[in-house]
Parts: sequence; structure tokens; C-alpha cells
Amino acid sequence: MTDYRKLDPARRDAQPLQLDLIEAYARGRLTRRDFVRRGTVLGLSLTTLASVVAACGGGSSGTGSAETGVGGNTGSGANIKQGGTLRIASIAPANPLDPVAMIDLASYAIVAQSYEFLTYSLGDLRLTPGLAESWEPNSDGSEWTFKIRQGVMWQDGKPLTTDDIIQTFERMVAAGNSGLKGVIESGAVTAPDEKTVVFTLTGPNGNLPYLVSSDNPQTVITPAAFAAGSLVDQSPNGTGPWKMTSYDIKTGASFVRNDGWWGGKTKLDKVEWTFFQDLQPQVVAVQSGQQDAIVQFSVLGGEGLLNNPDINVIRLKSAAHKQIWMRVDKGQFTDKSVRQALAYSLDREAMVASLFKGNADIGNDSPFAPVYPYTDTSVPQRTRDVEKAKSLLAGKQITSTLHAVKLQEVPDLAVLIKNNAAEAGFNLNVSVEDTSTFYGKSWCPTEPADPPCSGADELGIVDYGHRGVPDVYLNASLSPGGAWNSAQYNSTQYADLFKNFQAAVGVDAQTAAAGEIEKLLLEDSPTLFPYFFNYLSAHSKKFAGIGVTAIGHMFLGKAGQV
Amino acid sequence: MLRFIARRLALALITLLLLSAIVFAISNVLPQDVGRSILGPFAPQESVDALNHKLGTDRPRLEQYIDLLKGIVTFDFGDSYQSGQPVGDLIKTTLQNSAKLAILALLITVPLGIFAGTMAALRRDTVIDRVIVMLGLAGSSLPEFVTSTFLVVILGLQLDLLPTLANWPPGANIFTQIHYLLMPALALVLVYFGYIARMARAGMIVAMESDYTRTAMMKGLSRGRVIRRHVLRNALLPTIAVVATSTGYLFGGLLAVELIFNINGLGRLLVTAAKAKDLPVLQAGVLVIGIIYMFATLIADILISWLNPRIRLGSEN
Repeated sequence: MTDYRKLDPARRDAQPLQLDLIEAYARGRLTRRDFVRRGTVLGLSLTTLASVVAACGGGSSGTGSAETGVGGNTGSGANIKQGGTLRIASIAPANPLDPVAMIDLASYAIVAQSYEFLTYSLGDLRLTPGLAESWEPNSDGSEWTFKIRQGVMWQDGKPLTTDDIIQTFERMVAAGNSGLKGVIESGAVTAPDEKTVVFTLTGPNGNLPYLVSSDNPQTVITPAAFAAGSLVDQSPNGTGPWKMTSYDIKTGASFVRNDGWWGGKTKLDKVEWTFFQDLQPQVVAVQSGQQDAIVQFSVLGGEGLLNNPDINVIRLKSAAHKQIWMRVDKGQFTDKSVRQALAYSLDREAMVASLFKGNADIGNDSPFAPVYPYTDTSVPQRTRDVEKAKSLLAGKQITSTLHAVKLQEVPDLAVLIKNNAAEAGFNLNVSVEDTSTFYGKSWCPTEPADPPCSGADELGIVDYGHRGVPDVYLNASLSPGGAWNSAQYNSTQYADLFKNFQAAVGVDAQTAAAGEIEKLLLEDSPTLFPYFFNYLSAHSKKFAGIGVTAIGHMFLGKAGQV
Repeated sequence: MLRFIARRLALALITLLLLSAIVFAISNVLPQDVGRSILGPFAPQESVDALNHKLGTDRPRLEQYIDLLKGIVTFDFGDSYQSGQPVGDLIKTTLQNSAKLAILALLITVPLGIFAGTMAALRRDTVIDRVIVMLGLAGSSLPEFVTSTFLVVILGLQLDLLPTLANWPPGANIFTQIHYLLMPALALVLVYFGYIARMARAGMIVAMESDYTRTAMMKGLSRGRVIRRHVLRNALLPTIAVVATSTGYLFGGLLAVELIFNINGLGRLLVTAAKAKDLPVLQAGVLVIGIIYMFATLIADILISWLNPRIRLGSEN
């Protein structure tokens, strides 16, 4: 039962978009979890969130603590002791530590030890403050105002300024950051005063706080004078909790406490990262106690951690997935019926069971993962129907090569697809390729460059990491001319629906727009999304307060020994 | 003897030159877009072209090969494309790690293998002989990743006797380093013990059945003295050759062991360099392994010719 007397103060102070959210929750159209999650995006303070939840009969708990994203999310802070070293096992970074151009999870994790974000997207997609203390949109979400935390110092002794933030985003625009492309242009970020920055967008966008959060890892705030192409290990700096003392791309990195961190004194004295080339030695090292934590592991190969009573496994629902693309413009998959036939032949439940032992959500052939609050779950789930697949094929013989990157579970997935599809009448040959061959030749060759990926093979499987919002997947892999559109899907109807989704800033509007896209993609089936797998991380139970995100970050500002 | 060594050194230099040409040719057969490998699949083509120009990978092949030869002479192979570190530093660090493991493995395997092979030959067709031969065969037939995994599970996880990673703490003394290296070294011992024991056994049997041994025995020398003075120095010749050829492999070919025990060694460096098309590291690393091979075989040749002057004299003639 909603107590409108208690609710009114929050409604009175809210911006139009915030008010829309409060009304949606008060009318029962949102769960408390989704309300809190969306409320943090729209900049509602924790006090406001708590008062609205209480006014709507939900109690005041569960709205999150006052922790920042650089804290942790496991264990109780009260039990954490001062001192000690945490030893972390991680896969080695793929390239030098260039925060603007980095593309691998290991680099994201290392850079984020010292450099911080405006906002942090935690494991449950809730946003928390970072270098921005608060934020709010204008009435239509086309302009966002961020209040910058005061008193923050760089490790070299200079204060954080709004110019640092402006120049960071200028570098993002110049580099064509995949999350911000089309959202902001050069000159979009301004500073009306020394405590505020304003993002003026090319159009309304309800997800901007995610696009400047840890979800978009390249947006770590670097000093104004930081030159694109510089490496953070060559002259260590940052505003974050840890100072880098050594770094070697082959072996590991060391960090000590940054005594000048605005977040207070860290519990741990040091953090030691050891880099590995393979998963198995990392798992064994954590099992044997030679390492205390592993940044990420998979179910296949990580069984030793999943059932170990001394290990705390963190499972995060995520939007990470594999896409099966089919060229819609040439070759054997131009006929929509053939693409649908392949889609109906897939046994998604068996994939989740055998590849992830249940640690994944079944996909419905669109990037709207169950983890997103606006995914329209009323759209019927596509299930396996071999007879329907056969009738859609109508006796056609489809013989093709399924290109698969040699990464994670992809080769096993390719075999499952081949076997599933064979029952419907497809004859697929699996070609497992190393990353350079796959990305360079099969998935998205650089030539011909226009439109992008027009040299892609007709059928393949590609991997996508987690994002807190689906905009990157919707834009890059499905939009006409999208940078990673291997299927060459070119639908004006889709482009319009995507624009609607981007412009939709209310919860109901976003769900409605998402539903329309989901239905269209089920019908057209240019790209299949069989599952979204959980992100797995683990650490010894001797430690707590370790914050993990599904994009590879490990935040240790509040971590320590228990 | 000096003439023999000089001739071997001259041959080694020619081999090195040939090796450099082969290494250069092979590394340039690989799909050749270094800039793309470094910047990743999402970088714009202009950035890739600019990087290729900066690294010099868009220059004519001959120019690049001459640079490689200069590098061999000056021991300056430039910087790694991938990490930007000097190649010499990378090779030095990884070579040290590989050398520590290889030397420890050889220090355990060679005496143990020779002793076991000698024992098996002296007690030919007894239970001891059969046990040693069977153990050696079983060990040799197992790949290193199997023996490594076996040891990790048994000695590391089940019994908790040895560290599962060969990453010792910074500043660790030699004994601590040996403690951390013992398990990977044992994995290699399991594999190489069989080779060396079998070679030593075969050499001993041939030497024991030779005329000079029979003559020595008939002169009335004791069995121990005959073995020490006449048999061993002839019996060990094939074993020395096997140890020499294994040395190069132990320095640069232990990828599986280096991955399982997370050793930053030469094998791992080469594989990651090959994957990333980090040509300076790849070329320098292969050349270093080639040089190790050549030195190991040179030392083996010298040892063999010292033990058996007929070989030296034959070569000089």
C-alpha cells in the first residue's frame, strides 16, 4: 500500500524522468530491485530511493549502502582486518596498458586499480558514485549534469579538475569509443563551474550514466595532459586507491596503498597480480592457496573452484554472450526461412546445461538479456522445433562452413550447433580459427571497409563481453553500417526501432521499445543469441570486500583479510 | 684439439647465418599485419598503417633482414612490438628462468639416468634391469603436460608438499628458488630419465661386450677398475650426445611445463611472440635457442673427442 504523504516530497523534488520512474514503481510496474537500479541511473540519491521504497511499502532496506564502486560487495566490512597482501591470479593483458585503446578484460582490471570512473556499475547493474558524486538528466535526457567530487588528488599531487574530465571524453570521441559513438561529439562536455560537468548529447539517452561508468572501461578519467597512446605503467598516476609500483606484461603487477585516496585508508597494504597464459594454472594456484583470488574463470576448467568449501565464488548474471551471425545480403542465408530454420534447430537448454552447467540464461535471439530491467519478457521464447526447422528449409540442402574463434567455449558451441543443425538438414563444417585469423578474416575483415564487415564469411560465431546496457550490441552488430555488423543486417525498420529505444528514457517506454526490437529480430533472425552466461570470479574465504563486475574489474578499495 | 675447436666454431657461425635466414624467412611467411595484431581488430586502418610504418614492418624485406643481421652482431634486436621493452631484456629474463629450470632438471636427470643405466647394464636381464627399463619407457612415453599435471595434483594439491607455481617471492635466495622449481624439474626428470638411462644402458652393454673390455679383464684388472677406466668413457659417448641435444630443447621447448607452472620462460615468450607477430622477439628468441643448441653440441663434440681421440683425429684427417 502506497503512502502518498511520504511519497510526495520525493515526487515534488524529482526531475520529469525521475518522476516517471517513481510513478512506475508506486503503481507496481517495477520490482524494487529494478526501481533501485534505474533510480541510480537517473541520479536519485540513496535517501530518496529509500524514502520511496518505504512509502511504497517495501521497507527501507535493500537500497544499497553508501559504498562507492571502488569498494567491495562481498562480506562484511566490520570484520575486515587492517593490513596484509592480496595475491590475484589474472590472465595476462593482451596489449600495452593504453587506457584509451585497451580492448581486453585484464587491461581493464589493472588500469582501474589506479584510475577511476565518474560512476561505477556494480555486479547487479546498480550505479554508484565514483569521481562524480551525483548526476541528473534534464527533462528529456538529452543533457546530463554531473557534480564532481571535490578534494580528489592525482598521485602526482595535482588536484582533479573538470578539465581532466573534459579532455578524457575528448579523447574518447577522437578514438571512436564504441559506447559513446553517436552519443556525444567533440565539445559535448563542458564545465559551467569547477564542480560541475555537463554532457550535451546528440539526442536523448536514458543510459548515459552507464556509458561513462566502469561498464565502458576506456572512460577511466586520466589527466588533461594525458596523450592518447601513452601507457599508464610508464608514468604511474591516478586518483584511485592503489599506486602501481611495478608492471610487467608477462609476469604481473604490484600495487601499494595510495595514502592520498579520497576514499580513505585501504584495509590491504599491497596487492600483487600474477599474470598467466592459461586458466588451469590459475585455478590450481587458488586451490592450493598460492594465490588468493582469480579474476575470472569458466565452468569448463574451473570445477575445482565451484565446489571448494574454502573458496567464495561470485556469480554475476551478465549480458556476455556469443552471437551466431548469418549473412543476410549474399550466400545461402539470404532467405529468412533458412535463418529461422537454423534458429529453430538449436537446443539452447542443452547448450546451457552442457557448456555452463546451468550458469547461464537462455537467450531469445536478441541482445536483450534477462539481466536488463527493460527486456520485454512477454515476447515468446524461441524453443527447439526440429520439425518446424525442416519445414522452413523445405528440402533445401544447406552446406556451409561455421567459423568459430578458438576462445572459451566457442569450439564446443560450434560442435553443438553443427549437431543440432544436422537434425534439421544442415550440413555445417566447423572451422576453429585462432583469434587473429578469425577476427581478421572471418568475422570482420578490414577490407572492404565500406560498409564495415562486408568481407565477413556467411556464417560464424563471435564473442561479446558484458555491457550494462545493450546499446553497443544494438548499434555495432545490428545497425545498418554498424562497425561489427558481420551479418550485414540492413533494416530501416530496425534502425527506427533502435532510435526509439535510445530516445526512450522512461521505464515503460524502454520496455515497449525493447519488445518491438525483440519481435523484429525474432522474425528476421540475422544473428542468433543462444545464451547469456554468468560471470564467475572467486577468492579465498580469508578475504572479503572484493568488488567484481562482469566486465573483468576487481575493485579492492574496501577489500581485506577476515 | 685447438684446430678441431676452431673448425667447429667456424661451422657454428655458418650454421648461425643459415639459421638467421631461415628464421627470417619463416617469420615473414606468417600472415603479415603486425599493426593489426597489436592494435586489435577494432582499430581503424589508418592507425594500423601508421603503426606499421613506425615499426618499419612496411619496409622491404631485405632491409629488415639486414637489420636482423646487425642485431645478431651487436646483440641489439630493438624493442618488442607488443610490450615496447628492449628485446634483449626480455630474452635475458626469460633465458635466466629457463636456464634455472633446465640446469636443475639436468643436474637431477643426468647422474640419475647414468647411474640407473649403468646399473641396468651391469645387472642385465635381472629384475633391476627390467624395472629401470620399464620405468624409463613409461616416463618417456608420457608428454610433459601429463607428468606436470600429475605432480601438481599429487604433490601440490593432495599432499601439499611443493608449490604448484614456480613463482617465487621477489628477492628469494637460491634454496627458495630451487624449492619452487623442484616440481617442474621433477616433471622433466620423469620424462628425460628414461632417455638417458636407456642410452647409458645401451652404451654400457656395447662397451662391456667389446674386445678392449675383454682384454682388460683378461689382464687381471678388477671389474670396478675396468668399468671406471675403460667401459664408462666409451659407454657414455651416445649419452653425451643425447644430453647435448636435449639441452637446447630444455631451454626453449618447454611450453607446456612453463604454462602449467606459470614460468616466464623462453618457450612461453616465443609462443606469445608468434601469436602476437612480435617479430623481433620471435627472431631473437629462436636465434638464442639455436646458439644454445650449437654450444651444447660443440661442448658435446669436445667432450666426446676428449673421451675418444679417434673421433678428433678422424675429423682432423
